[in-house]
Amino acid sequence: MSATLTVAAPAAAPPPGPDDIRIEGLVKRFGATEVLRGVRLSVPRGELCALIGANGAGKSTLLRCLLRLVEPDAGSVEILGQDARRLRGRALRRLRARVGFVFQRHNLVPRLSALSNVVHGAIAREGARAWHQALSPPALRAEAMRCLAEVGLAPLALRRADALSGGQSQRVAIARALMQRPEMILADEPVASLDPAAGREVMGLLAALARQRGITVLFTTHHMEHAIAFADRIVGLRAGAVVLDSPAAAAVPGALERFFD
Amino acid sequence: MTDRPAPPRLERPSPLAFALLVGAAALVLSSFQGVGFSLAELWAGLPQMARILGEMLPPAHDRWDRVLASLIETFHMALAGTLLGVLLSVPLAVLACRALTPSWPLRAAARSLIALFRTVPDLVWALLFVVAVGLGPFAGTLALMVDTMGYAARFFAEAMEEQDKGPQEALAAAGAPRSGLLMAAVLPAALPSMVATSLFCLEKATRGGVVLGLVGAGGIGMELKVAMDLFNYAEAAASILAILLLVVAVEQAAAALRRRIIG
Repeated sequence: MSATLTVAAPAAAPPPGPDDIRIEGLVKRFGATEVLRGVRLSVPRGELCALIGANGAGKSTLLRCLLRLVEPDAGSVEILGQDARRLRGRALRRLRARVGFVFQRHNLVPRLSALSNVVHGAIAREGARAWHQALSPPALRAEAMRCLAEVGLAPLALRRADALSGGQSQRVAIARALMQRPEMILADEPVASLDPAAGREVMGLLAALARQRGITVLFTTHHMEHAIAFADRIVGLRAGAVVLDSPAAAAVPGALERFFD
Repeated sequence: MTDRPAPPRLERPSPLAFALLVGAAALVLSSFQGVGFSLAELWAGLPQMARILGEMLPPAHDRWDRVLASLIETFHMALAGTLLGVLLSVPLAVLACRALTPSWPLRAAARSLIALFRTVPDLVWALLFVVAVGLGPFAGTLALMVDTMGYAARFFAEAMEEQDKGPQEALAAAGAPRSGLLMAAVLPAALPSMVATSLFCLEKATRGGVVLGLVGAGGIGMELKVAMDLFNYAEAAASILAILLLVVAVEQAAAALRRRIIG
């Protein structure tokens, strides 16, 4: 099938500021399957970039490769000015601590409270004091409460994560990412498991919080309206390669939908 | 439409399956023969069993204080042995857990140690500890501790491995070290299963603690052995009754706690 896309357009004019993400020739194979085939992508500081593509296009793998949750096979990955592929042990954990990661399934610890889950965001800098909210000093608990308040869930601080709705859980996951004091957020289909209203709300919240703080965001999505409404730029992935790079303002919704055909 | 005949009720076994069945039957028969199983001897022994039962009733009640003290000692052994065993099982389970172990050789060593603790019976551990630390409840406690480790460490490791990997991945992505993954994600999720296993261990140690006295490792088993050696069946009956009450009480309490924690 042809990869010709009517919306394919030259990348947006180079925005100011250094690149927070710079990927060159990124390759990842799972057995004989090449999931990422020489991906090249740069995301400048403060930009909200949507990564679109059909199932199996390699979006999640790309995001995981950036933090080395999945080990790339080839190529270079520069995150926040650091060569992520050269980092080991403590240095890699320090880099990860600077990047919030929001997962599709929120990945909260189900038996712990929302507050404990948010406190976990500080685990890299606070160590054992961030294992559980009961072990945290007052300043850390107060910071976690502020993060929960920012996502509108302060009243549910002590509710167990497995008693929260999908939308509430994803808000807690965003609060956990904020607790990291991140310079960048990677979000892997953050609203895929939510109903349309909750999805729009959570996506809007994530975008607003990121813009307030000037945080770079790279998020994957199947919702074209989210990509157009909340991103500055849309990058399309097909069969492990970038085949679309367009300013969100220039994207045509109908044409983007055809990207998934 | 044609009438198809019903399939046979049983499939004819293959020659190999038939040979295996015959072999299994022969093994069972030889086992009965090997142990000298005899209904005639069992029948002949019934009057003797009835006589012993008659002498057991009513159970002796003049030594209740001593029986009670031994019973409490047995419970102390079970509780202390289980607690120490459970506490030591946690690091052993972490080393044996694929996702948390710092290295493969350590994992292999931990798994081998757990297998050793599990396969050697508690009575053998008690014999070894009696030689090492002398007669009495301390040897029994150590034996129960090791026996608990063989059981609990294995199930703790399985409980840790079975947990959803999502929260662990989220904390790893936030820069958590291995200790953070364990304490903040794995243990909270595995805790109900670990508590249930620990309560089973307490039940097991209570039952195990009873027989350890037979090899001099303390507890009510020693009382029972002395009474049986002296053919004092009424006193033996008192010990057996006390054992029954203790085991049932611990099982009921553990079951209630398990329901509360898991239910």
